[in-house]
Amino acid sequence: MFKKILFATSGSPCCDAAARVAFDMAVRYDAELFVFHVLGVPSRGFSHIVVDVRTGEKVELDADYIAWVQDELKNTYDRQLRSGARCSIEAVVGIPHREILRKARQEDVDIIVMGASTTGCEGDSDAYPKHFAGSTLQRVAKASKAPVLVVNRPAASFWGGFTNIVFGADFSRASEYAFQFALKTARELGAKLHVFHAVDIESQHGLMSQQEIDDRMLEARDRIRRKYLLQAKGYPHINADVWEGIPYVEIVKYARERQADLIVMAHHSRETSDASLGRTLEQVLLRASCPVVSVNRPDKVVDNE
Amino acid sequence: MPEGKLCNKKPVSTREELDALLADSNGRQYYAEMEQLDVDSDALWATIQKTMKSRLKTWLEICAHCGLCADSCFLYTVNEKDPTQVPSYKIQSTLGEIVRRKGKVSNEFMRMCMDTAWSKCTCCNRCGTYCPYGIDMGVMFSYLRGLLHSQGFVPWELKIGSGMHRLFRAQMDVTVEDFVDTCQWMVEEAQEEWPCLEIPIDKEDADIVYMINAREAKHYPEDIVEAAILFHIAGENWTMPSVGWEMTSLAMFAGDWEACKMQVETIYSAMERLRPKRMVATECGHAYRATVIEGPYWAGRPDGKPPVECIHYVEWVAEALETGKLKIDPTKKIKEPVTVQDSCNYVRNAGLRECTRIIMKHIAEDFREMAPCKEHNYCCGGGGGFNGIGRYRKQRNIALKMKREQILATGAKLVVAPCHNCWDAIRDLEEEYQIGIKWSFLKPLLIKMVEVPPHLRPEE
Repeated sequence: MFKKILFATSGSPCCDAAARVAFDMAVRYDAELFVFHVLGVPSRGFSHIVVDVRTGEKVELDADYIAWVQDELKNTYDRQLRSGARCSIEAVVGIPHREILRKARQEDVDIIVMGASTTGCEGDSDAYPKHFAGSTLQRVAKASKAPVLVVNRPAASFWGGFTNIVFGADFSRASEYAFQFALKTARELGAKLHVFHAVDIESQHGLMSQQEIDDRMLEARDRIRRKYLLQAKGYPHINADVWEGIPYVEIVKYARERQADLIVMAHHSRETSDASLGRTLEQVLLRASCPVVSVNRPDKVVDNE
Repeated sequence: MPEGKLCNKKPVSTREELDALLADSNGRQYYAEMEQLDVDSDALWATIQKTMKSRLKTWLEICAHCGLCADSCFLYTVNEKDPTQVPSYKIQSTLGEIVRRKGKVSNEFMRMCMDTAWSKCTCCNRCGTYCPYGIDMGVMFSYLRGLLHSQGFVPWELKIGSGMHRLFRAQMDVTVEDFVDTCQWMVEEAQEEWPCLEIPIDKEDADIVYMINAREAKHYPEDIVEAAILFHIAGENWTMPSVGWEMTSLAMFAGDWEACKMQVETIYSAMERLRPKRMVATECGHAYRATVIEGPYWAGRPDGKPPVECIHYVEWVAEALETGKLKIDPTKKIKEPVTVQDSCNYVRNAGLRECTRIIMKHIAEDFREMAPCKEHNYCCGGGGGFNGIGRYRKQRNIALKMKREQILATGAKLVVAPCHNCWDAIRDLEEEYQIGIKWSFLKPLLIKMVEVPPHLRPEE
């Protein structure tokens, strides 16, 4: 399932939670792990001065500096590197999202693992208080062929592999790919799959009547059955739930209740401008205490058999 | 020491030589070797006798040292009217001296010439516009750069840059495979939003062949797909060549005329191979000058023109807007005050001053001219290679002051900069002086405001 994992890291504490999951996954699923860091932005044309992405300082780029950054990464992930994962560490120059996508394409990775944001969270390893995801994550999630696994909260861990997967259903086309990824993952790992939809009662003008809420919940159940459950073709560990409320809150609550260790959602590139994530996905990945996978494309999801 | 390991009179010809230069942190060894480099006076004088034509001889001779060129030079103004920044002084004390001494000059003198040629002149050619005799120091400094290059006195980054052109026919180490793959990759990324989008490679007899700056392929390939989207919306029959797609010339900044010729011949043979009706050049000033204005002479083309008609991106956009190939949604026009940076290389040196005004008329509600503007506009502060040379960073940052004052005077919050060097310089200007502005190429702005015909929209 995960033969090649790309862990894109800024090397800052914001990526520590993602590092734990990435290394754990590599060991557990015997995958090849690429620890990948974009060290600077070549903002001076053809010159050899780059802007260090962590410090924002201008540095002279040479082989010594790159080797030093790689050593720093080795020190940062010293404990994880002793876990036995098959791992390579690489530091390159470029625009971060573009180089991450380039590497993912070159290696044809199965999944990209990232933290939610780095800017401004030095000393606070959690993007949660900022209520927004980093621009690099947003751009990677928008364009990546491979699913993007975001690990934001320090509480996130990966002790026993993925055993409880929540799929946040929204009935869009991208959501179909997300479901196929969730189902495929559940099947291969023998995990429970919880298909969940939250009827949005917030976006309506004025109060919704209870009858209307009930009707929409019934309709959602029916759509889940037709759109997703039938595809599962008798997979025994699947169930569906529909709640009402503010979708991102309900998904996070539901995942907590089900003790989910993975949430899978679609990312709708077309609905958003400037590569920002859809509001619900962005809020879920910032708030959830487990890793969240953003799926946007069919390439790594749909079987070609 | 006659020749250093890194700093010498030989241009880069192998990957090993290039890697050795790249491994030299900030050119420390390179510049240390330069202090010991011998000047081959006989070769220098022989080159001058062979290559210095009557125009330059006359210019050197008739310059009356009147100093009327002083105020035309932005470097003179931003350096507190330092007399050593007067254009006529700068060229007379360097090229003039070399000629007067028949090439018998010292290593120290050559290093002074290098510092002058690359940190006191951006070859913007503004002085030529104001000299009563039409003497153009920019042209003379380009010539001086060639002499200095032939003797090995060239900034480290530019030795690397022209070496890249020699090895890869691009200022970056982008191979044919990398380039073609990048185009394919960009199409795949965009196809969901733009069904049927293509970047046709090596298509023969297309209406347009589109050529770019290697930095687009290397660092921000979104620029390539943005061009593809706009050609797609405009319904153009276009292509890009797999070989000969890069039209910049750091070799021109370096004064490496042999590499200039190699680079431009690669481009021209792509044109001859694909036979497009015309070439559209990306949003880059020096690339346009190198390929369209200077290139034909490097390549020895008898008519002084490239093999096919060549237009700059601003010309294509202006034409597409005027003919209705691209239509702007009036509600999406730029509302905030906006100004435009006139690139010296395609405005003063190629006459394309009206195109950007036509474009601004279509896309901006509050367009404000800089003063002065058009062919009288000042260099962004980073032209002629100035942006990229670490040794002259301090001088470059001072040079940005003129553009800072011009932009502040307009009150604009956005600067449209359809040129890579200008875009870089204005970005650096904001970083250095923080005057609260944004900057943009044309393509991303256009994509946000152009009307998409219904048949090109993605299925719901």
